Amino acid sequence: MASVSIDKVWKYYGQTAAVKELHLEVADGEFVAVLGPSGCGKSSTLRMLAGLEHISAGEIRFGPKRVNDLPPRDRDIAMVFENYALYPHKTVFDNMANPLKLRGVERSVIEERVRKAAAILEIGHLLERRPGELSGGQKQRTAIGRAIVREPALFLFDEPIAHLDAKLRAHMRGELKLMQRRLGTTMIYVTHDQLEALSMADRIAVMNDGVLQQLGTPRQIYDHPVNAWVAGFVGEPPINFLDCRIVEENGELRLVHPGFNLALRPEQAAIVRGRYAQDEVRMGIRPDQVAISTTQSPDSFGGRILVTEPIGGDMLVDVSLGKDKVLVKTRPDFEGRMDGPCYLTLDRGRWHLFGKDDGVALF
Amino acid sequence: MASKDVVEYASPARRIANVAVVIFLAVYLLWTVLPIFVMFVSSLKDLLEAFRIPAVGDWSGIALFFDFQPTFKHYANLFVNLNFGVYFFNSVAAALGSAVVSVTLGATCAYALSRTEFRGKKDLFFWIISTRMAPVVAVMVPLYAIFRSLELVGSLWGLILAYTTFNLPFAIWILKGFFDNVPYAIEEAQMVDGATRLQAFRSILPLVAPGIGAFLVLCVLFAWNDFLFASIIGSGGAKTLPVATKELVQPQNIQWGSIMAAGVVTTLPMMFLGLLIRRYLVTGLTMGAVRE
Repeated sequence: MASVSIDKVWKYYGQTAAVKELHLEVADGEFVAVLGPSGCGKSSTLRMLAGLEHISAGEIRFGPKRVNDLPPRDRDIAMVFENYALYPHKTVFDNMANPLKLRGVERSVIEERVRKAAAILEIGHLLERRPGELSGGQKQRTAIGRAIVREPALFLFDEPIAHLDAKLRAHMRGELKLMQRRLGTTMIYVTHDQLEALSMADRIAVMNDGVLQQLGTPRQIYDHPVNAWVAGFVGEPPINFLDCRIVEENGELRLVHPGFNLALRPEQAAIVRGRYAQDEVRMGIRPDQVAISTTQSPDSFGGRILVTEPIGGDMLVDVSLGKDKVLVKTRPDFEGRMDGPCYLTLDRGRWHLFGKDDGVALF
Repeated sequence: MASKDVVEYASPARRIANVAVVIFLAVYLLWTVLPIFVMFVSSLKDLLEAFRIPAVGDWSGIALFFDFQPTFKHYANLFVNLNFGVYFFNSVAAALGSAVVSVTLGATCAYALSRTEFRGKKDLFFWIISTRMAPVVAVMVPLYAIFRSLELVGSLWGLILAYTTFNLPFAIWILKGFFDNVPYAIEEAQMVDGATRLQAFRSILPLVAPGIGAFLVLCVLFAWNDFLFASIIGSGGAKTLPVATKELVQPQNIQWGSIMAAGVVTTLPMMFLGLLIRRYLVTGLTMGAVRE
């Protein structure tokens, strides 16, 4: 067991900075997901934690111990690689036994621990097979098995389920979370899939372009993104952005768009008055926070239905609003027709305003 | 999975092409196999029988070829009177010795070139290959001078060193391709699991084994078939089979029977080797070349 401190860490590849002054504290036993698009520095961060990359500047500590100059084998970590990195010429058993063998553990203990790990992962019947004879999910379980046999202080998972098919991925999300809770081992989990991060992690570190954007619980990240980039990256289907203007009418602030003109709530208006000087803003609202109907009601405004996409339990509706498009998630029995009229109502308690230029969230 | 067969449609041109292919292959097979067959048969014939040849155009006389009393006297002559046992040993030692040295040095060097980045790596790599671009003859004179001053001429060690000089760049070049094809993540996984760098290197050797095996064979073949080095660097003390065979051609007496027997003795081991590692040779050579 160990806590992890990443203290003002930089990673350079030549002149390019892949990780810029990253600061991250992970508590003992915590499950932290590092989320970001490819090239955001999340894998470099993980590889620095593993000792597979040099740390250009800053310090990484496991507990009180500085590990900058420790080779991987002395860090007491276990890592699961994106492409599993199994030894193709060894059986599942030997793959899983490898870390124990390298540490000179007794044969009988190895046997017992591998069987136990295999039982947890339900691959006990595959121990004599080689990786070439396994399915993707089985390979991935073997790779995880290799990580858990040793009971390390820290798990590092690098997109471990990215290559599985969608159904198996959904299944493995639950299993991995359960496994981590049961073992209680600190876990740092790198992924580009916001769904994995939201569903599994205690906290999420969202990275972009080498910079940590936001660190928080999944709820905080989803409900209170610190900037437009985080809001846009997290959430599926993605958040709607509409360029609006702020106009003062009769002493209240209103959000004006070619398609609507809505009053800000008093507390929201206070924030805008206090922190924002420009009148142009970006409004963000998630598709499930927009209500759609074929009949008009107070506070609703008109749009035109472009296309409806039933997706089983829900329906996605593309609505054109002036020059902009708004994606709405609604019930599957929504009766609007393509190219017909519709009326939208925004959940004004949950919309977000972002600075037009810097994208920083006002609320 | 999609079939890898090329889809063909029957057409008159295609049918003619099919027949042409069969004829070509038949002629090619005859062209390739016949000399070897004549060598085998002649090595078992008395000199008089060997030169009994039917007149041109007399196809019925072909039976003359097979009308002989098999004799092993040429083989006996080679090994009893002409010391071919020693030459055979020299050939084996030179070929295996240089192959083992080349592969050992080549594998470690190829691994380093495959796994590390450093300034001038491309230039170094090109320089290594470029040493194989000059014809061997071009460097023979300086090489001989160097070897003579080091007193390596006429010794088995000198011959092994000479073959290694030429096999090593080739080994580095080919084996680097094999190492490039092994995902680095496997060694990283080893190191995270608790291996040292050297243990990680050893752990992936089984994955490049087909390449190492194929290359060992190529080294052996090169050294075994070599005449130039053997006649100049190895002359005297380290005579190999090709050189010894050549010495059977004397101005007043060309020992045809013994030459044919020596040819068989030289060819057979490589043929068996080829059969033995045929499978590895093919997978080995293509595995290095094609990325999957």
